[in-house]
Amino acid sequence: MNKTEEKEYSFSKKSEDRFKELEKKFPQRSSLVLWTLHLVQEDIGYISKPAIEYVAKRVGVSKSWVEGVCTFYSMYNKKPVGKYHLQVCHNVSCWLNGSDKLEETIKEKLNIEHGETTKDGLFTFTHVECLASCGTSPVVQVNNDYHEKMDPQKLEELIEKLKAEV
Amino acid sequence: MSSLEKRILLKDWGKNNCHTIEVYEEEGGYTALKKVLIDEKDKWTSENIIEEVKISGLRGRGGAGFPTGLKWSFIPKDTDKPKYLICNADEGEPGTFKDRVLLEDLPHGFIEGMIIAGIALGSKQGYIYLRGEFYKPWQRVEEAIKDAYNKGYLGDNILGTKHSFHLTTYRGAGAYICGEETALIESLEGKRGHPRLKPPFPAVEGLYKCPTVVNNVETYAAIPHIIINGGKWYANLGQGSEKSGGTKLFSISGHINKPGVYELPMGLPLIDIIEKVTGGIKGDKKLKAVIPGGSSTPILTAQEAKKAIMDYEGMAEAGTFLGSGAVIVLDETTDMVELAYRVAYFYDHESCGQCTPCREGTRWVKNILKRFKDRIGSADDLDTLCDFSEYMSNGATICPFGDAVKMAVIPIVKKFREEFEARIDKTEKVHEKISIGDR
Ligand SMILES: Cc1cc2nc3c(=O)[nH]c(=O)nc-3n(C[C@H](O)[C@H](O)[C@H](O)COP(=O)(O)O)c2cc1C
Ligand code: SF4
Ligand code: FES
Repeated sequence: MNKTEEKEYSFSKKSEDRFKELEKKFPQRSSLVLWTLHLVQEDIGYISKPAIEYVAKRVGVSKSWVEGVCTFYSMYNKKPVGKYHLQVCHNVSCWLNGSDKLEETIKEKLNIEHGETTKDGLFTFTHVECLASCGTSPVVQVNNDYHEKMDPQKLEELIEKLKAEV
Repeated sequence: MSSLEKRILLKDWGKNNCHTIEVYEEEGGYTALKKVLIDEKDKWTSENIIEEVKISGLRGRGGAGFPTGLKWSFIPKDTDKPKYLICNADEGEPGTFKDRVLLEDLPHGFIEGMIIAGIALGSKQGYIYLRGEFYKPWQRVEEAIKDAYNKGYLGDNILGTKHSFHLTTYRGAGAYICGEETALIESLEGKRGHPRLKPPFPAVEGLYKCPTVVNNVETYAAIPHIIINGGKWYANLGQGSEKSGGTKLFSISGHINKPGVYELPMGLPLIDIIEKVTGGIKGDKKLKAVIPGGSSTPILTAQEAKKAIMDYEGMAEAGTFLGSGAVIVLDETTDMVELAYRVAYFYDHESCGQCTPCREGTRWVKNILKRFKDRIGSADDLDTLCDFSEYMSNGATICPFGDAVKMAVIPIVKKFREEFEARIDKTEKVHEKISIGDR
């Protein structure tokens, strides 16, 4: 990642409201760490350094605690990702049903490898482990949504559709 | 629908708006709760609820198959600490997708089960831990909880009685190990998902050091039916061993015509499930092997699968486990080396890293299998692999993840050894040895 200064972070209005609700639900505040990181990611798409400090302060745990949690869980993006995060399951059932072809489609069409983002900042591609969609495999998760029973053609169409929406 | 199916938990599945509280109530939902709290309140003491669950023979549907009634009876009665109930909706075992159906389409069933469990155990607070990827299921569960509060099934003074029970959702963030109950508890406390050493068991010291019961979504969903129809009725639904009562949700995927979630009585022959329920193997192919209970359970060859019975005892007899009921069917074209590698890659990725044998061992297992995938394996590698996996199992690690790696990978290598041997490099080129830092 380049070393440009990261922006200060504080909750959006929506996240602030959610946080206040959540505070009432857990007898120990440390339980708020995962939830709060989800809120951050909804706000800015990844967990920035200033956001880690902010979360630590708001929840009342150390910065290293938050950092440790952030790096342990694979869903928290440690650096900015594209507007659309294409996550292709490559576990057993999806593989049996052709997930390799989906990975190839993305690599060819968008010219990116696992973990990379397109230059225009639109798409990031990662392969992920079983998403509990094996009966409707292969599956591609795009941001919060599952796209099931995929094939290369449907995936190409989806990518075109997402491009057109921008 | 195949005549072998027996829909109890799934009885409303597919009806219009089956996820809503209106449809659930119309179809008899929340009557078990009303029975326990109002209509038959003298009969349903805490002890009697637990007793009925014991009679039902219900065993944990998350994978380990521990008797649910017995687990509940471990919760201490004479304590002034709060008691917590957790619903394990992490559903991470590769091949498993049945909890998602309950969460997304039938959320009130397991919510009612949790409320009844809360009453039986004297717990006033429950948490539902969903894997982070389950965004839509999470929204559905949130909506269901809100509706249950509005109707007075959740909250203080449930249905005007002195009982109260609250439910809160929690979202994981992408870590398979958080399905293990003590890792899940750590995660719920806002930490990295590191399994805890046991004892103490969660029943004594779980969430926030308080007595805690963790059950799978499907386990809770069976409770209302057990209350309404009786434990004995539930036990008798099973067709195999007496020790495996009830129905089970099977997630069936792979090379078959009709993959999906099927509710079946315990004790059916595995081959009937493949041929009669899921319409057999796709195309004109032959069966090669079956992973019967999620990717951590030992694989069965076609021959073994043809004799196997799908319940806890039947699977043990076949040398494997019922696990989460995730059946992955493999046809004759399946590349077993690639299969073993995919499985090993998963474990390497998901080891939480606390125990050296597991953290380092999973990496070695994956790297050795990569050599076979690349057709540069050596004869020694196969033996190294089998020896190695011994060091990461049988109590060498904090949680059973280490054992799972051995159970998942080694039987593939042993039962399909010739496919691995065919990938041994016989050109006697000297290949770079794998080093421990190899990632
Ligand atoms: C590595 C590992 C992963 C697990 N993953 C899950 C899971 O995703 N869902 C689940 O319900 N149980 C899972 N379990 C089992 C839980 O530890 C626990 O036994 C279960 O939640 C208890 O509920 P039950 O008795 O109703 O099955 C896992 C266990 C291990 C060792
Ligand atoms: S066995 Fe593996 S997953 Fe389990 S606690 Fe040890 S390192 Fe973590
Ligand atoms: S293997 Fe891809 S969703 Fe389960």
